[in-house]
Amino acid sequence: MLEQLLIFTRGGLILWTCKELGSALRGSPIDTLIRSCLLEERSGLASFNYDAPGAAYTLKWTFHNELGLVFVAVYQRILHLLYVDDLLNMVKREFSEIYDPKRTIYDDFDETFRQLRMEAEARAEELRKSKQVMGKPVSNGKKQGQVNKVGFEGGNKKKSECGVARDGDDAMVKDRKMENGHSNGIHVGIKDPKGNGVVNGKENTVSNNGAFDVNKLQKLRSKGVKKTDTVADKVPKADPKKKNMKKNRVWDDSPAEAKLDFTHPADQNGDQDMHVVAAEQGQSMMDEEENVSSESEVEEDEEVERGSKADAKKGWFSSIFQSIAGKANLERADLEPALKALKDRLMTKNVAEQIAEKLCESVAASLEGKKLASFTRVSSTVQAAMEEALVRILTPRRSIDILRDVHAAKEQNRPYVVVFVGVNGVGKSTNLAKVAYWLLQHKVSVMMAACDTFRSGAVEQLRTHARRLQIPIFEKGYEKDPAVVAKEAIQEATRNGSEVVLVDTAGRMQDNEPLMRALSKLIYLNNPDLVLFVGEALVGNDAVDQLSKFNQRLADLSTSPTTRLIDGILLTKFDTIDDKVGAALSMVYVSGAPVMFVGCGQSYTDLKKLNVKSIVKTLLK
Amino acid sequence: MEGMEQWKVQVENWTNQLNQLLGQLLEQVHQVPPAQLYVAIAVLVFTVVVLLSIPLFKRKKSNTIVLTGLSGGGKTVLFYQLRDGSYHQGTVTSMEPNEGTFILRSETTKKGKIKPVHLVDVPGHSRLRPKLEEFLPQAAGLVFVVDALDFLPNCRAVSEYLYDVLTNAYVVKKKIPVLILCNKTEKVTAHTKDFIRKQMEKEIDKLRQSRSVVSAADITNDFTLGVPGAAFTFSQCQNRVTVAEASGLTGDISQVEEFIREHVKP
Repeated sequence: MLEQLLIFTRGGLILWTCKELGSALRGSPIDTLIRSCLLEERSGLASFNYDAPGAAYTLKWTFHNELGLVFVAVYQRILHLLYVDDLLNMVKREFSEIYDPKRTIYDDFDETFRQLRMEAEARAEELRKSKQVMGKPVSNGKKQGQVNKVGFEGGNKKKSECGVARDGDDAMVKDRKMENGHSNGIHVGIKDPKGNGVVNGKENTVSNNGAFDVNKLQKLRSKGVKKTDTVADKVPKADPKKKNMKKNRVWDDSPAEAKLDFTHPADQNGDQDMHVVAAEQGQSMMDEEENVSSESEVEEDEEVERGSKADAKKGWFSSIFQSIAGKANLERADLEPALKALKDRLMTKNVAEQIAEKLCESVAASLEGKKLASFTRVSSTVQAAMEEALVRILTPRRSIDILRDVHAAKEQNRPYVVVFVGVNGVGKSTNLAKVAYWLLQHKVSVMMAACDTFRSGAVEQLRTHARRLQIPIFEKGYEKDPAVVAKEAIQEATRNGSEVVLVDTAGRMQDNEPLMRALSKLIYLNNPDLVLFVGEALVGNDAVDQLSKFNQRLADLSTSPTTRLIDGILLTKFDTIDDKVGAALSMVYVSGAPVMFVGCGQSYTDLKKLNVKSIVKTLLK
Repeated sequence: MEGMEQWKVQVENWTNQLNQLLGQLLEQVHQVPPAQLYVAIAVLVFTVVVLLSIPLFKRKKSNTIVLTGLSGGGKTVLFYQLRDGSYHQGTVTSMEPNEGTFILRSETTKKGKIKPVHLVDVPGHSRLRPKLEEFLPQAAGLVFVVDALDFLPNCRAVSEYLYDVLTNAYVVKKKIPVLILCNKTEKVTAHTKDFIRKQMEKEIDKLRQSRSVVSAADITNDFTLGVPGAAFTFSQCQNRVTVAEASGLTGDISQVEEFIREHVKP
């Protein structure tokens, strides 16, 4: 059941809530959604999961950008509600008609909503039934078309479904499986515009495999996997046919597909459990069908674009008029070229592709349906929106005033502990020395702890720094447990009254399980005030992997209930990258942690703070 | 070639006509007595000057009041209380500023012409902080909303934000008055405004030390607060900083209204 449906302005005033549903939500899912998802430029996601004691909600939302409205639906996560997207879109359409900026009470919307909801529920029910009967629903494609959000959470969805499927009795399993296929279809269908041709087919089978693994149908399973393999083989075969169909799209209707469908059993060696097999094939065919339609859509889009270009050439007067009068409403197709250019530009600045993609998605979500102001071009509007988004991301969420924290720790008579973590050779020890130098300048007594007991020469390196800076160093040689060394170092610091302990750790690759385990042990044993991730600015796509894996490992391998994640980022080798500053953005976006220091040279003084404005300017240059 | 010649002929015709018109105009001007002419010119100059100076005057007498503070303090509720006298069906975290130019709700019954107030509610989420600077240049007053109920856990964050606000270049240069408003006082466990003021002064005193030594790489605020060597109090600020109480939920907002009317004269 739907728990709650809210309509509010971007300014934060709730305009309408469903009083019928009325059940009080546990915790504050809406505020959490806004703070940790919508404001973090993650609004391109399909759904958001909220966990609170005694509640697990999934939230879905949609924007009406022209009127500045947000529609949010909340429901229990264990329920898989098919109609929520549909309902949200209908509510959006109906509500935008009666919306008036001066009005704040919409009691008359209750009745409309009741109808809409019944309609949506009925439609979802019908959809399910038709799927059960036909095995390969035509209406499915329509439904997929309506779901126009990118499902990064596809995996999530599948998981929750499989949980339900396991509980359910045998009769239900089949049904659930259908659903699974359906969500699969959405997943792939959305991916389509990005991938193409053969690659696409492979992707399909991969995700299919995942779905079958998840559904533990003992016998079927092995066969099912085989089947999908054969389907995978067949996808390239089907391709030429598709091309044929593309030429004369008029003929591309159900009979042709039916034919295509029949080719499969002919190729296969016969099987007893035809029913389910047929369903499986239907599913992957569904994907193929989706391929065709989406490709043709893309083509159409291109045609439209070409057409618009031709228009622009033909009548510059009309285009000028349009720019003066302001374009009616921005649509996805209008934004697409500008967004693509922007994405490419971000990627040339070394922003990880995934991140650039998500950012563009989120900017598009915030602009779609908005009115274009007069005397502006689409590209400049998109650029302005992106700039705002970038500033928002890079502005630190928490205070990065370490000195303040050091003083606070001093009041509690304990040292402030900073742990430097990162992959090999990014400059942990060097920058640790720089931080020590900076702290010394501000009259903070510092102590180093050499917990890199792995690489030969690491302790000596740190000792050299310590001697030059004339600060104490705590070392226990090699082959000791770093966690214990750090613990002793902190005890020592408490004894001799050092205010800050800088803990150097061994560099480790994010995939190295034993070393990551050791790191999480070190962190949980000592509970440092600051876990500083040291990353080099040279890194490109790998930045995402490094940070997310470090965070993941720290969370997974934790032995205590409270998880400690990375609190801040130290970006090194910043002087070597010229204008390719994208790593800063990638890292901040992935981890949500602020960039606290920037290392930009070889001497002790080469430590700076991140200048958000100049970074944003460089990124969009 | 023919076209060119025709063109030339036409141009000559036009220049002739123009010259004739000019001659006529000059004659007419000569017929007008010089006194009248001067008066006309004077009137023209005067109107132009007045038209140009209107925006200047307007800028001097700004009527903008900015509501700011941490997220969850109750700024949006206050905004709607001031505007409509009700917070409607509640609020959620703001993603965009709320803006409005209106006469305060409590003054709608008063007779006579009242100057409307331009009220801006800037979101408190730290990612949206840069928005505040857009509104500061035109601000006549700043209301810093503090959650009196949940004060202690957020004390440091609140003080840091207030420190940033108080050291902001515009606030210091233009001496924008700041009202620290302790909201949610209707709750029994809410802290008193004196307690909050003392705690914040203490925190800012500490901040002053740590901030003044922050490395000079990316300094946005060059201003320091208070008198060196003495414990910080709000009275040391160059702009006026006052503390008041309010309750957004019950609509007890008379002290805010007073502050607003003090700085935006009706």
